[in-house]
Amino acid sequence: MTWIWILLAPLLGGLLYGGERVLRARMQRRQGPPLLQPFYDMFKLLDKRTLIVHAPHALLAVAHFFVLWFTVAAIFLGWNLLYIIFLHLFAQMLLILAGYSVRSPYSHLGANRELLMLIAYEPVLILVAVGFYLLSGSFEITEIMRGGNYLFQMPLLFAALLMIVPIKVKKSPFDVGEAHQEIVGGVEIEYSGVFYEFLYMSRFLEYLFIYSFVFIFGGVSCWLGSVLAAGVFLLVNLVDNATARVRTAQMVKIIYAMAMSLAVVNLLWMLV
Amino acid sequence: METVLTLILLPAVASVSVAVFPFVRVQYILITAVFAMLSMAVLSFYTSTDVLTLHLSYTLNECIIAADIVLLLYFLYQGIKLNSFKVILLAAVQLLLYGYAESVAPAGGSAEIIVDDLSRFMFLIINIVGGIIVLYSVRYMEDEPSSPFKKRLFISGLLLFLSVMNVTVCANSLLLFFFLFEMTTLASYQLIAFRNDEISRTNALRALWMNQIGGVVILLAALVAINSFGTLMFDTLLEHSGGMVLFSVALLSMAALVKGASIPFDGWLLGAMVAPTPVSAMLHSATMVKIAPYLILKLAPALGATLLGGVVSVTGALVFVAASYLALSRSVFKEILGYSTVALLGLMMALAAIGTKESMMLAMVLILFHALSKALLFLAAGVLEKQYHLKNIEEMSAMVHRAPKTVGFILLGFVSLTLPPFGLFMGKLFAITSVASLLRERPLLLIVLLGIIIGSALLVLLYFKVSSALLAHPSDTVQTEDERIPYGFGIPLALLSVLIIGAAAGFIMIQRDVMLVLFAFPLLFVFALPSIVRGMERYDRTGPYHCGEKEPFDAALVYYEPSVTLKQAIYWGFGILFVAVAFVGALS
Repeated sequence: MTWIWILLAPLLGGLLYGGERVLRARMQRRQGPPLLQPFYDMFKLLDKRTLIVHAPHALLAVAHFFVLWFTVAAIFLGWNLLYIIFLHLFAQMLLILAGYSVRSPYSHLGANRELLMLIAYEPVLILVAVGFYLLSGSFEITEIMRGGNYLFQMPLLFAALLMIVPIKVKKSPFDVGEAHQEIVGGVEIEYSGVFYEFLYMSRFLEYLFIYSFVFIFGGVSCWLGSVLAAGVFLLVNLVDNATARVRTAQMVKIIYAMAMSLAVVNLLWMLV
Repeated sequence: METVLTLILLPAVASVSVAVFPFVRVQYILITAVFAMLSMAVLSFYTSTDVLTLHLSYTLNECIIAADIVLLLYFLYQGIKLNSFKVILLAAVQLLLYGYAESVAPAGGSAEIIVDDLSRFMFLIINIVGGIIVLYSVRYMEDEPSSPFKKRLFISGLLLFLSVMNVTVCANSLLLFFFLFEMTTLASYQLIAFRNDEISRTNALRALWMNQIGGVVILLAALVAINSFGTLMFDTLLEHSGGMVLFSVALLSMAALVKGASIPFDGWLLGAMVAPTPVSAMLHSATMVKIAPYLILKLAPALGATLLGGVVSVTGALVFVAASYLALSRSVFKEILGYSTVALLGLMMALAAIGTKESMMLAMVLILFHALSKALLFLAAGVLEKQYHLKNIEEMSAMVHRAPKTVGFILLGFVSLTLPPFGLFMGKLFAITSVASLLRERPLLLIVLLGIIIGSALLVLLYFKVSSALLAHPSDTVQTEDERIPYGFGIPLALLSVLIIGAAAGFIMIQRDVMLVLFAFPLLFVFALPSIVRGMERYDRTGPYHCGEKEPFDAALVYYEPSVTLKQAIYWGFGILFVAVAFVGALS
């Protein structure tokens, strides 16, 4: 059963992404695209003529997608949370190296931003994992999911996680990675056709990755987990519609000053 | 015991021969033979786990005392010659303290030389990594603008240094350790000043006086040990617990912080980067500065769960973060490597000072993999310096196009320092697990945990910022140049790469954790890359988007410079922490 979910993960993420676009359209009182728009996009992209800059650049996008898929599979299989975070780091580094590997200023700018986003959210994710470890005595997701009451024991860590969800799904105020007007697509600019499709699908997997972290806070109760994930999903989109983008440096400062302090205070409170 | 003598005497003998024979080919053969013999000697050690001991004879001890006094007088002479008040003062203090310590030192006690597991481990790094660097330096010196005799002297100096290091890591007597510590300081001083220009001399002098502080605190530690416990030996001292032991241990930890160039002493290691690249690789990243974590590992049984251990550990973790941050403002490639060495040494000391079996093992893992990766990076930096005359990363734009192989080695170095499945990454990963498991008993370690997490993130930013300059590759429509690395450079680089990959594979295997093997899975992709690249022929190529500009332009590199106030605050803060180590030691 789990394996089927793993195989379907990109489709699942696609639905989530499509659903989000519908939701945002409704929030702005416009018609918006249909739910299956990401899949229509896929067929369109596969039909396009593919132009590449050089082979390693194109292949790194493919590698990025597969390592992310592997990461999501590891989450579904309930493996070690730390390993999962670092597999994700590895996937992001492949994307960043891809961005740096071409002599294109926009690609470089985009990769710089991806790198800064990475160093902003990665420490918070690890601290959340440490929080789970302190309560459940294990980094394994299977073990963690046997416990409960995470939300009441680590509310501030949850708040810290909440702050980094917009970075991962590229939503305001932390959508610097997707600032189209400024960086013309950033890392994605030099991709086209089938290779762009891989990057497009990676985004679906990113959704699954970050919302899984929210889901884990529900612990043994899948019901609570689902409510949390749905609530965060709504909240992130609401905030996205209501705020403006901050600059990259400001984002890093805000995350380090606020999310980290929240996480540290929570950990201290759990220890004492 | 013969093996230990081989390790100590063979490089010394080879050093004399290199100085005598003027032919480059002879040097190659000689050094390859020495490297092979040292590696075999080191590996043969691992067949037994006995602790070897050696008492030095009375005459030998007298010789060492004489040599030590000559050494300190030499420092004094240098201070007077170069008119440096700090050097004169510190050398004079050292002479007085040393004279006094020798006069009250108890005779006898346990053996002066003890070869235990830790020494064996250090032998492994010193001789294998050190040997490879000496091999590299033969080719490097060919292009160096100095007299042939001076070039030979340089290589023989490096070999002699191997001998000194081999004794240092098995010294059990505090005063013997002091002598060897000062010998490494001397090596540092002489080799930094090798190019003998204004800036080299200034930086060498700075390295000298800063390291002399380390010597002074070791002498104070020895005096405390003699006065309170009537012993000079590490093992006897560490058997005691409580009271003045901790003061002595605190003073020795301060020596480690100085040798490891922890902030506020980072200036000497940064200055040392003006020396020829083999020196930076050998002394200032792979072997000599490893004395710092080595010393903390040796003291770890006493540091353990004490407040002092906590303070040393916190200092190390904060140095890890601060040095990684300061490195972001640098643009000279070797200085960036230097700062990241300071940072990682801090991390190693932090883990060693925690003092549990697991964290000590992890510190050793970091020492090993850091030595391999940093040696690779420095040697590759040397190739860029000698073949392309590049030192600053601002000038290295699109180097992957001109020097694909060298950049490949550099990238392997960066990846092996930060990403799975390589050893250093694994070390950090297990460190997080290990520290997290201790948090409930020792909440102070939360700072260490934060240090590991944030410091690692900053190092990722640092290394990949540098690779952003190197990697920018034009479209496939432009022909890539063919790069030829001379064998004298290529073979050491290849050896180190094989060791990095092999050691990482071995390290994963001994963990007996199936999940970890999966980290290696992305590597398969890298190996499959050439065949996939051939399959990519069917896609059309295009140039990157440049907004319609005719001339290609590059994105600028990103720098993060701390404000002057912040920088001062960092230095003052670490200065206070450094002094606090002594106070905590004295009071507990």
